[in-house]
Amino acid sequence: MAPPTQQADAKSEDGSAGPSGLPDFHGDIDPDTFEQILEMDDDEEEREFSKSIVYDFFSQAQQTFEKMDQNLEKRDLAQLSSLGHFLKGSSATLGMTKVKDSCEKIQHLGAKESADGSKDEPDEDKCLESLKKIIKQAKDEFADVEKRLRQFYEPA
Amino acid sequence: MDGNAGQSANSSSDFVRKLYKMLENPQDESVVRWGNEGDSFVVLENEKFTKHILPKHFKHSNFASFVRQLNKYDFHKVRHNNEEGGASPYGIGAWEFKHPDFKMNNKDALDNIRRKAPAPRKPNVMPEDIVPTQQMDLFNSQLVATQQQLQQLQERYNELSMHHSMLLQELIGVQKTVVNHEHVMGYVMNFLTSVDAQRRRESRVNIPFGSHTNGAINGVAPEEPAERRLPPTEEDVPASPLQHASKLLSEVNADHMLNSNKLEQLNEQHMRMNASFTTPPPINGTRSSSRGAAPHSATSSTSVSYGDLDNMVYPIGNNQGIDPMYSGHIHNIPYVEPPKASEPSLQQTEGRKKSSAVDPGWSRQPQILLVEDDQTCRRIGGKFLYAFQCHVDSALDGLEAVNKLNAGSKYDLVLMDIIMPNLDGVSATHLIRQFDHTPIIAMTSNIRSDDIAMYFQHGMNDVLPKPFTKEGLLSMLEKHLGHLKKHPQPPSLEMNPPHPNPSAAVAPAPAKRSYRSDDSPATSPATVSNWNSPGPGPLGVSPVSATAPHPEDPYLQGGPAPYALGPQQGAAGMPPPPVQAPMYAGLPPGGLGPRPPQPQQHQHQQHRRGISDISGGQPDMGDAKRQQLYGAPPGHMGQQQQHGGMHQGGMGRPR
Repeated sequence: MAPPTQQADAKSEDGSAGPSGLPDFHGDIDPDTFEQILEMDDDEEEREFSKSIVYDFFSQAQQTFEKMDQNLEKRDLAQLSSLGHFLKGSSATLGMTKVKDSCEKIQHLGAKESADGSKDEPDEDKCLESLKKIIKQAKDEFADVEKRLRQFYEPA
Repeated sequence: MDGNAGQSANSSSDFVRKLYKMLENPQDESVVRWGNEGDSFVVLENEKFTKHILPKHFKHSNFASFVRQLNKYDFHKVRHNNEEGGASPYGIGAWEFKHPDFKMNNKDALDNIRRKAPAPRKPNVMPEDIVPTQQMDLFNSQLVATQQQLQQLQERYNELSMHHSMLLQELIGVQKTVVNHEHVMGYVMNFLTSVDAQRRRESRVNIPFGSHTNGAINGVAPEEPAERRLPPTEEDVPASPLQHASKLLSEVNADHMLNSNKLEQLNEQHMRMNASFTTPPPINGTRSSSRGAAPHSATSSTSVSYGDLDNMVYPIGNNQGIDPMYSGHIHNIPYVEPPKASEPSLQQTEGRKKSSAVDPGWSRQPQILLVEDDQTCRRIGGKFLYAFQCHVDSALDGLEAVNKLNAGSKYDLVLMDIIMPNLDGVSATHLIRQFDHTPIIAMTSNIRSDDIAMYFQHGMNDVLPKPFTKEGLLSMLEKHLGHLKKHPQPPSLEMNPPHPNPSAAVAPAPAKRSYRSDDSPATSPATVSNWNSPGPGPLGVSPVSATAPHPEDPYLQGGPAPYALGPQQGAAGMPPPPVQAPMYAGLPPGGLGPRPPQPQQHQHQQHRRGISDISGGQPDMGDAKRQQLYGAPPGHMGQQQQHGGMHQGGMGRPR
């Protein structure tokens, strides 16, 4: 997901918004990916379709994070990996680059691999330690994205 | 007089005689009687006359009809309005009728009273009215009859054309079976060849030893070597029965393909004909022979070389171009057309509403099965597909997908997530391939070359990397649903033929399995859409970079099985199994024959690079790493299953 991120940065430097009037997400969201979802909205004011998807994702992510916490306590690495994979898919589809990258790391660590998946990491304690950090990070990243998106959909 | 009367009665009209007789009856004088001058008769009391006199003499009680009858015989009502101050001498309600020949005491004159027109019993007024209506009736009934006939013909035609379609379908099904059998034969042949080879190897080892003992025992050593020398020259060649069989197989195969080609043409014609009278804009019949535009534009520059190849191969090889095993053909069978014919236009108008909606111009709405456990992906994917005028059905996991296909649902394309609860996409594909050949596209973020190799091994036809883009999805549709486009391209040239015989192809797979379920590199190309099949399938439209023009060639040429060198050799779109068989069959004996994985891997790296270049994306950084990973031990399969189990463990995630 590196290239989209770069593009996003480039765009934010330009200060230009996307064709859909997309606000500046500062690289939290890959504009290309997100715009093509916005394009699917029938009404650019209501944004019924994308809004429902994004908001559904919010609750889905919230639940997933809760489960991650539970499984952290249970030290269930496999479940953590699976949860990471799960959230990776939907966050990637929505263009939430940072969340997606973190989820991928969760997926790897849960599979007893290094965070980038390049080598095995047989030490469960190490994995769990890293998982704690990365899950926290993912939550923060998600919170950022959520805030921005809620602002986008419900400008105060 | 009486005699005269009787005589005259014979020639005079019944009605007139009855009339005369009626007036002869004196009791009724108060109601009806002769006029004062005797040259007319008067009905004094209309009511009584109608009720009592008319029934007695004329068997009816309808004064109007009596008057009409009188008129017909040229009686006239005598009007008194103008004379004598308008009052009738017989009273106000009286009716006086008069005929020149109807006179009291002059029965003979009655003969002169005739109906006005010489027309027969049917009165004069009627003919003008009735004859036309009769004709109308006749015409009407004829029309109805004709219409019925027409309808019957129409029904008959529909029935016949349905039968025709069914027969075509059946035939294609039979062809499929035949092809499958042929492939099975191919695999058997292959196995036999390897067994044969082994035997010969063994015999080669044994023979020298045998000859020694023979020589020692019999003492006829000088002659033996000459005899022994002969077999070694043969030893490199498979046993002749095997050769014969494989030759036969390849010949039969070619013939068969020729037939199927015709059949498909017939089918297509039928479809086009049907479409042309069901849909307002008839299908543009021009088959672009320079099949450059649509599909190739979606892909990369290398397709040019394939285009050349197609142009070269297609006219020559009759067996080229149509894959009889491609189940999508079944959907081409037109008897389902009419009800759907209205859909495209409807869809089009719907599509125009939204600027984002693209109409790829399907001749028929493609039926897509979207298999995806993640709600977000499913909804977005479904929305995109809908925007591309596809009909979308979705399944939440592999199990549901298998069940749907097993239950007989027909799709033109299946988009399959890989990691799903209950049943993962690869296993689902593997199961589906036991009975169905609908193109299946893996939809996943796990797009490392070994992952992809495994997808193809299990019968998937392509890979759509996640997160997918609209463009990626569309080009995938165009690639695999080219046969549904309004400007028909020779279908299977545009699509990967399905993995033909999964069971056979997969059997040796464990040796190669090195599935790492969930570690795609930390960065993955975002907008990539097309992956070239590593299988020897089609020289299709995959965006292979120019540096790897014919990745399949190694397989095509490297196959150890002799029959693979038959007519299929040059035929790109041909069913791959004969070619593939050697590839897999070569594995178990252990290093026998060229083993493809290495080149395959390089291709993937190349594709990958080529694609990320196209997408204007990042340089492929993980190359070295992936190379490394590729060599990872096959034990990772276990990992995947572990994951499946985890999913099954039920995270209770929202769907």
